[in-house]
Amino acid sequence: MTDTTVSQRRFLGIPGNTWTLILLGLGAVLTTIDFVLAFFYTPLVVGAQVAETRIINGIAVSNQLLFSQKIFYFHVPVAIGSFLIFFFTAYYGVRFLMTKQKKYDTRARIATEVTLLFVILTLITGDIWTRFEWGVWWVWEPRLTTYFIMTLLVVAYFVLRSSIEDEERRATYAAVFGIIAFLDAPISFAITRLIPSSVHPVVLRSGGGLTGMQLLAFLLGLFGMLMLAWVVYQVRLREELARERIEGLKAALEG
Amino acid sequence: MAETMADTTKSAHISSMRQFKAILKKDIVMELRTKEMLTSMGLYAVLVLVVYQIALSQAGSSFDVLRIAAGLLWLAIIFTSLLGLNRSLVHEKDQGCLDALLLAPVDRPVIFFAKAIGNLLFLSIVVVIILPLFYFFFLAGKPLGGPLWMLPLPLIVGCIGIAGVGTLLATMSVNTNGKDLILPVLFIPVMFPLLYASVAATTAVLIGDPGYATVYWNSIALGAGYDAIMLLAAYGLYEFIIGA
Repeated sequence: MTDTTVSQRRFLGIPGNTWTLILLGLGAVLTTIDFVLAFFYTPLVVGAQVAETRIINGIAVSNQLLFSQKIFYFHVPVAIGSFLIFFFTAYYGVRFLMTKQKKYDTRARIATEVTLLFVILTLITGDIWTRFEWGVWWVWEPRLTTYFIMTLLVVAYFVLRSSIEDEERRATYAAVFGIIAFLDAPISFAITRLIPSSVHPVVLRSGGGLTGMQLLAFLLGLFGMLMLAWVVYQVRLREELARERIEGLKAALEG
Repeated sequence: MAETMADTTKSAHISSMRQFKAILKKDIVMELRTKEMLTSMGLYAVLVLVVYQIALSQAGSSFDVLRIAAGLLWLAIIFTSLLGLNRSLVHEKDQGCLDALLLAPVDRPVIFFAKAIGNLLFLSIVVVIILPLFYFFFLAGKPLGGPLWMLPLPLIVGCIGIAGVGTLLATMSVNTNGKDLILPVLFIPVMFPLLYASVAATTAVLIGDPGYATVYWNSIALGAGYDAIMLLAAYGLYEFIIGA
C-alpha cells in the first residue's frame, strides 16, 4: 500500500504539494520582514548603565543600548522551533511503538534531522549573542547549557541509530530513546533555571515584556521559522519516500 | 506433597512478587559467588579517587576542595555506575540468560524492576564504600556545613534515578554494535538534570552557605520529580526494548 504523504492529501481543497510551496513563500517572506524590522524598526533595548551620561543625537543617554540584543528576533524563534520539532520525534516514536509501521520511524528520523538543524542554528546564534553581549565565547549559563544537552541528546539519537543494523530493533530503540530524550529536554531546561548556580547566576532580561514593535517582529519571526521548519521537513520526507520507492523498484526488478 | 503451580495461586500464573524475587535472587547469588562486579566497581571507585588526587596535586594548599567536593563525588559515582550497569547486562547477553528470561513466563516490567533494584543494590554498596574513603582522602578535618542526616538523601535520590534510567539505557546499549561504549553517550545527557540537582543538594550540605536549606530541599524535590517522571517512562518503555 502506498503511503499517502501529506503532499498527496488535500487541506482546504489545496493539495499538499502546493501548500509546501505556499508555506515556503510565506515563511521566507515573514522571516525577511522579521529581519528588516529587527534591524531598522525595533527600538533598542536598554542595557547596563554607562559610567557617564552622554548626549547622542540630541538625546541624553545614560544606559548602554544593546544592538546585540537584536539577534533575539532570530535566536528565540529557532530555539522554540527546535523544541517543537523535537516533539514530533517523540510523537512519531510513540506512533511507531503503537503500530510498528516503518513510515513512522522514517518520519521520526527526519524530524530529528530537522531538530538537529535548528539546534545547531540556535547554538550558533546563541554563541554570537553571548560573545557580543558578555564578551566571552561560551558561558555555562542555563540556556546555553540546556541547548548543549539537547545537542548531545540529538547526536546520541543518531549514534544509536547508526550502531544497530537490524531495522526493526533500530526503529524500536530509536523510538524509545527519542521519547526519553524529549522528556529530558524540558526537565533540563527547568532544572538549570530553578537551581541557582553559585558561579554563573541566571541572567534575566530587565523589563520582561515585549513592546508593540518588538512583539510584532518576534511573532513574525516565530511563525516564519515554524513554516520554514515544516517545509524543510516535508521536502526531506518526500526525498526519503522517493528513495524508498526506488529501492523497492530495484528489488522488484532483481527478484 | 509437591507444590504445583496451580496450588500456589488461583491461576497458573506465578505471582509477580515471586518472579521479581527469583530474578533478583539470581543476580545477587551470582554476584556473591564471583564477587566480580563489586570488586571491580569498588576498585574502580578507589582508582578514580587516586586520579582526583593527581588532578588536584598542583592546585596549591590554599585551594578549597570543599567547593568542588560534591561534584567530584558524583563524578566518581556516575563513572562507577556506568561500569556496573554495563556489567550487569553484558552477562545476561553473553550467556544467553536474557533469551531464557524472555522465554519464561515472566512479565516484562518485572524484569525491569528486578534488574533496576539489583543495580541499585550494587551501586549503594559501592557508594557506602566510596563515601567514607572520599571523606578520609579529601575532606578530613573539615566540618560538615549542614546536619549529617541531610547527607544520605541526595545520594538516595540520585542513585535511584541512575539505577532506573541506567537499566533501560544499558539494556539498549548492550544490544548494539558498539556494546558498552554507547552507554555513556546515551546515559550522560539523559542524566544531566538529575546530576545537576544532586550536586547542588550535596554541595549545600557539605558547605552550608547561608540559605543552604532552601537550595537543598529545592534540589531534592526537583531530583525526586525527575526520578518519578523518568522511572515511569522507563517502566513503560522497557517492554518494547526487551522484546526487540
